[in-house]
Amino acid sequence: MSLSHFQAEFEKMMNRDYFSSSIHPMRNEAFSKFNECGFPTQKWEDWQFTNLTSLQKDTFRISELKDGPTQKIDLSPFHIDNVANIVIYNGHFQKDISHFPSGINLMSGLDYLESKEWKYNNTYDSPFDLLNTAFMDSGMSVVIDENMTINTPIHMVFISNSNEPLMVNPRVHIDVGDSSSATFIEHHVGVSSSFFENGSIFINLEQNAQLNHIRIQSNSTKTISMANIQAEQSLDSKYTFFQYADGGQLGRLNMVTRLNGEGADCNLNGLALSKNNQHLDHHIITDHRVPHCTSSQNFKSILQDKSTGVFCGRTIVREQAQKTDSKQSNKNLLLSKNALMNSNPQLEIYADDVKCSHGSTTGELDHEALFYLRSRGIDMMEAKNLLTRGFANEIMNAIRHNCTRSFIDTKFKHWLGDEV
Amino acid sequence: MLNIKSLKASIDGKPILKGINLNIKPGEMHAIMGLNGSGKSTLANIITGRDCYDVSDGDVIYKGDSLLEKSPETRALEGIFMSFQYPVVIPGVNLTYFLKAALNAHRKHRGEEELDAMRFLKFIREKIKQVEIDEKYLKRAVNEGFSGGEKKRNEILQMITLEPSLSILDETDSGLDIDALKIVANGVNQYRNKDNSFLVITHYQRLLNYLKPDFVHVLIDGVIVKSGDMTLAHKLEEKGYGWLES
Repeated sequence: MSLSHFQAEFEKMMNRDYFSSSIHPMRNEAFSKFNECGFPTQKWEDWQFTNLTSLQKDTFRISELKDGPTQKIDLSPFHIDNVANIVIYNGHFQKDISHFPSGINLMSGLDYLESKEWKYNNTYDSPFDLLNTAFMDSGMSVVIDENMTINTPIHMVFISNSNEPLMVNPRVHIDVGDSSSATFIEHHVGVSSSFFENGSIFINLEQNAQLNHIRIQSNSTKTISMANIQAEQSLDSKYTFFQYADGGQLGRLNMVTRLNGEGADCNLNGLALSKNNQHLDHHIITDHRVPHCTSSQNFKSILQDKSTGVFCGRTIVREQAQKTDSKQSNKNLLLSKNALMNSNPQLEIYADDVKCSHGSTTGELDHEALFYLRSRGIDMMEAKNLLTRGFANEIMNAIRHNCTRSFIDTKFKHWLGDEV
Repeated sequence: MLNIKSLKASIDGKPILKGINLNIKPGEMHAIMGLNGSGKSTLANIITGRDCYDVSDGDVIYKGDSLLEKSPETRALEGIFMSFQYPVVIPGVNLTYFLKAALNAHRKHRGEEELDAMRFLKFIREKIKQVEIDEKYLKRAVNEGFSGGEKKRNEILQMITLEPSLSILDETDSGLDIDALKIVANGVNQYRNKDNSFLVITHYQRLLNYLKPDFVHVLIDGVIVKSGDMTLAHKLEEKGYGWLES
């Protein structure tokens, strides 16, 4: 694979005077590591079902100042009640329409890294994390001190809107201090005709900290969306994640959570909806490194037309991680004979006193249930939608913010073609 | 109401019904008794429109029209209801939502205004009392975690909600204890009047003692071999089916 195009863009990046030069060594190091490994190919085990050649087809360029908004941004389609909006447009932070909830420390990714002396938890630097570090251009970092309860969710809206092939590499660090709690909603939207978004989020939960993380991936269907999320959990911390994905030509969630402190609890959930020839992929690793932690992975996909999906979940239980309690479930609904799902739930257990379960099912709508509904006068179309919504409803409960839940519910009904 | 004329049907090439004739008039209750595999449920399924059967001969006429080409939902809207032998669990769809969708489909078909959530709740709260279903079940997924008896009471709840002209009770008595059986029978009896017809499919006399059908038919190997009144059911209970087979 030729990476020369990315080399040229990298040089452009390094010459932009609006990015601090103090970060150059870090960018250089990441980019040279990226050059060594290159983009994953389907020969890599973790990438066998996801073809990345489309990344090389379009000549994505970095976003310039001229790619900022040319008119007032209409936020109403992305409006969620009772949240504080932080808006990033084609990689440019929109200060005038952003609001920060009180009690949090917000800084740019660059300022954050500078304050940490360029150190972050890069245990699982994937090619896309490296690329993100080399090209990071936007995003905001959130630092919450000890004993803070942040009631207003932070709603970070990433809007992409361009006729030219753009690439944006948002970078977010979230540190939640001892016994603090917050809700973070990342929301990816846009109508771009060609777009490559490669976002990396690094989360640190201190002792007894709680983070409720919701990700809405509704990018344009011409978007390649890479989401790289890493979370580190300390003693008694609680991390809840829910992804709703209905956008992107190719969407991939690379997620690694590490349970480093006893009593940590990690619940990861996702609902992916694909149509036409969309491809939505989930690669989820939960790493139990100490005893007495609980975790769950619960992902569902609903596939129409010729769309394809991947779930690859791995729960690792290290030798010392006794009394681990973990559940893993992947259920998929194929609404078309031409849709294809690859499901691969894996357990990797080195401890002997643990409770772990996993399961996977992929199937069509239940014919008996369809007949039951129709025999009550409900027509075929509505019966199918009712069952499909029922399938999804079970997982919607994992959305721990009511306003976001009703927003997602409405989006889902639109996706189904229901009248709302 | 319903006129079944020399109906023959098979599944996967295997003949099940071998020429059924049955005429049900408005207000009548007919019971069909028979052993497992005699074709009782097949008959119910063909009337309600399950599509895995091949009808090779005969017809099913309901209110003057043939049913056979109609979709299950059309049949339901025209007044046919079946209480399922094995009610289906529908995960993630709560009972209230399901009942409201079904009722509003019927109201729309009848040219009546659809009920909104508030008015529906008021309506359904009255109905659940008749079948002694606790209100908490309204918030649960359809049939999820329901006991056998609760599932069957839920079927009768759907019947009195949708107000069909022809109700088919497919082994509604199976798996019911005596209390649940009385509740189910009460629900059915309250709904009986001079216009509503019933087809009750059962193995046993037990349910029929409460319902007192007007006619009893015995189905053996896809044919109705004998018809009569309740005394026929008593005789079957006493003597079994053996005396009819030869």
